[in-house]
Amino acid sequence: MRVANLLPDIQYQMQQSQQALATATEQVSTGLRVNQLSDDPAASANMVRSLAYSANVDQYTSNVSSVIPQMQTADSAISSIVTSLNTAVTLGTEGANGTNSTQDKQEIATQVQSILSNVIAQANTSFQGVYVFGGSDSTTPPFVPASTTYTSSQGSTASPLATTTALTAGSVTTISDATTGKTMTYTAVAGDTVATLQAAIASKVSDGTLSVGTSATINANGQLQVGTNSATAGIVVSSNDAVLGTMNAAPGTEVANAYAYVGNSSINTVQIGDSMNAATNVPGNQLFTSGSNVIGSLSNLITTLQSGTTTQIGAATEAVTSALNYLDQQRVPLDNTMTQLNSQESYLGQEKVTLTTQQTALVGINMADAATNLSQAQLNNSAVLAAAAKIMPQTLLDYLK
Amino acid sequence: MGSLSSSLSIAVQSLNAASGSLQAANNNIANVNTPGYTRKVPILEEMAPVNEGNFSAGRGVELEGYQSVRDELLQNQIQQETQAQSGANAQLASLQQIQPTFTTSTQDIGTQMSALFSSISSLSTNPSSATSRQAVLTAGQNLVTAFNTASNTLTAQQAGLNTQVSQDVSQINQLTQQIAALNPQIAELKATGQDGGTLQDQQDQLVLSLSKLTSVAVTQGTDGETLTTENGTPLVVGSKSFSLQTTTGSDGMTHVLDQSGTDITSSLTGTSSLTGGDLGGTIQTRDTTIPGLLSQLDTLANKFGNAFNTVQALGYDQNGNKGGEFFTLPATPAPAVPPAADPYPGAAANIKMAITDPTQIAASSDGTAGDNLNLARFSALSAASIVSGQTPSDAYASLVYQVGSLTSNANAESTATTSSLAQLNNQLSSVSGVSIDEESANLITFQQAYEAAARVVSTIQELFTVTMSMGTAAAE
Repeated sequence: MRVANLLPDIQYQMQQSQQALATATEQVSTGLRVNQLSDDPAASANMVRSLAYSANVDQYTSNVSSVIPQMQTADSAISSIVTSLNTAVTLGTEGANGTNSTQDKQEIATQVQSILSNVIAQANTSFQGVYVFGGSDSTTPPFVPASTTYTSSQGSTASPLATTTALTAGSVTTISDATTGKTMTYTAVAGDTVATLQAAIASKVSDGTLSVGTSATINANGQLQVGTNSATAGIVVSSNDAVLGTMNAAPGTEVANAYAYVGNSSINTVQIGDSMNAATNVPGNQLFTSGSNVIGSLSNLITTLQSGTTTQIGAATEAVTSALNYLDQQRVPLDNTMTQLNSQESYLGQEKVTLTTQQTALVGINMADAATNLSQAQLNNSAVLAAAAKIMPQTLLDYLK
Repeated sequence: MGSLSSSLSIAVQSLNAASGSLQAANNNIANVNTPGYTRKVPILEEMAPVNEGNFSAGRGVELEGYQSVRDELLQNQIQQETQAQSGANAQLASLQQIQPTFTTSTQDIGTQMSALFSSISSLSTNPSSATSRQAVLTAGQNLVTAFNTASNTLTAQQAGLNTQVSQDVSQINQLTQQIAALNPQIAELKATGQDGGTLQDQQDQLVLSLSKLTSVAVTQGTDGETLTTENGTPLVVGSKSFSLQTTTGSDGMTHVLDQSGTDITSSLTGTSSLTGGDLGGTIQTRDTTIPGLLSQLDTLANKFGNAFNTVQALGYDQNGNKGGEFFTLPATPAPAVPPAADPYPGAAANIKMAITDPTQIAASSDGTAGDNLNLARFSALSAASIVSGQTPSDAYASLVYQVGSLTSNANAESTATTSSLAQLNNQLSSVSGVSIDEESANLITFQQAYEAAARVVSTIQELFTVTMSMGTAAAE
């Protein structure tokens, strides 16, 4: 083949070796084999997925760290309550001793009262503003003092409420009972009246949710009045129905040592793994007012110490012991979740390492390889340039005289 | 029988031929770096001999003319390859500008989607926390910005490409005019049996420049070269050139019309997607590649936004109210027949946050403040097949793969055509290129021929002098 001019070829070779040099330099300075999407589209796409997994793992780890202290707070509150209950049992046993005088029993009752206050304070524990034992209703204290009677803010002698007064559809009225430890939640539907509410309350009394004797009436002032008709049984009533206004405890009707649960039974979950959710709370009613009813049994013990027989005191003390055993069972899910969180924490740490390694494999380049490539490219480039320098200037004219 | 005067005329012919050949060599050397120059070789023919009976006497050499050494087939191949290279480069340039938008960074869509899901998961550990709620809104806003930016990058590219189309068309028109002007001149030369020479070189260069811009089909005729686009729209016929026009279409894009006003835009992209020159590549990118990417982007934005809105509506915010919208999306137009390329136009460009007050995030599933069960539904979206059967992150990964492989393909084509062109140019230069070494050798050859002929002339001159002084006193 006739060769007219070497220059275009030389230029092309130089361009190629410059390109290789540029690529090698970029790889060394970034440590990445894939510096733009076009370098390896499949690896880039996989990288997107891998980074999404990494972000999830980071979040799960963060969730675990956030949740553990909250659960530890709950756990230590329960431990404190268990200690208090043990003391109460001791006191109760002492009180059931037939040799005690009334004054002795009063003193013991006072001590049990302060234990109960302590237990309530612990049950109302909060962690960074979140009440840990309120179920998902964590913005207000879950255990509040109960009263015998609540009256509505709406209604007066001039414009009284009546059994025929219609209630707002969708409004919710709750009655929490300190003695049974249970809550009635009533949601009004269109067409409901005060009479419907009365009937609902009656049915809840029959099924044991509310204490016997609890009822709703229209009082002399034209207000809706919900009461237990018993000086020793307390309730807490609330409503968001504008027709009723707010429900307030009637002054002077507070029942000593009676507390009702105004939270709910919902459990919040937090995701700590791709298909793993941790329950982050145990509702207060599940722990302290259901089954043998920690709070109720303490209240009862105080009452029997103040005015009951030795047999009754003995029975009340038994009830506290049962409540304690029940609590021990109910705290198990909490402990299990703590264990789960701890082991998940170390698993997530491993996952993170695996993902990071995977990402490096996808788009990274081994530094040794990159450095070798660079020196090879430099060598090639120098060779091309040297060859070009040798060849380019020579023509026949240099040699003709 | 020869005579001195016929010898003299042969010698003069030789001088003529030698000096003419020297001139050719000189011209070649002068044009060694001229682009598109084909070397000219002198055509030397022996003059017809004189016959006198049995005696045949040569009459010397004649310089017939100069012949350009061309290879038209190679020229044609180079034009085709140039088209392909320009088309690939046009695509590559655009895609390289689009690529960074979809490359993983702190602001790309994939990262922001993850950040949004993380902020929601973080909120689930304390649904009443004002800081965590604000963080969710911030993450949502960042994602919205990412969508808006990506969409705007693509549409801005299209706007830039519109300008490119106009520029290419006006350049094409200039070139076709120039090519048409040369046709009659070259036809005249060819009619006398000569080759087109310098004018043909010029015309070939113009056609090569035109090939960079658009795909041309070249046919030779008696009135010169006829050029048409690949699907037959005439550009140059004889001495007439046909201008292309541009106009803004109803889609807001610059359309190309032929001289009679017919829209030929979609036919300019060439038979395969990577021929068609710069104009073809530009139109391909603007009208097919970018809309394809926009469609995927808009679908992702629309499905993601709507999924979030659905979950938001299922829950209750911190004020106990049912959730409204999380994102605002433009209305989806009614499905067109045939189906529109982008079923959710403007989704990514116009997606916005619908809530600005952190208390409006519907975290609760039943209205209780502190309940977080609706947040779990938001989180579940990251693993749900909400975008045409893919999860959001998979859909985005597909888009990333698309951009990467389009760019990679254009790059590969560009590299391959460059290498191919280098080869073809080598071959062409082997035929038509000027080799300084060769021309230098030729100079020596013709110089010697000239010197030899000059010597013959002076020898004959002496002989004339001797002849004239025959029979005079000086001859003794």
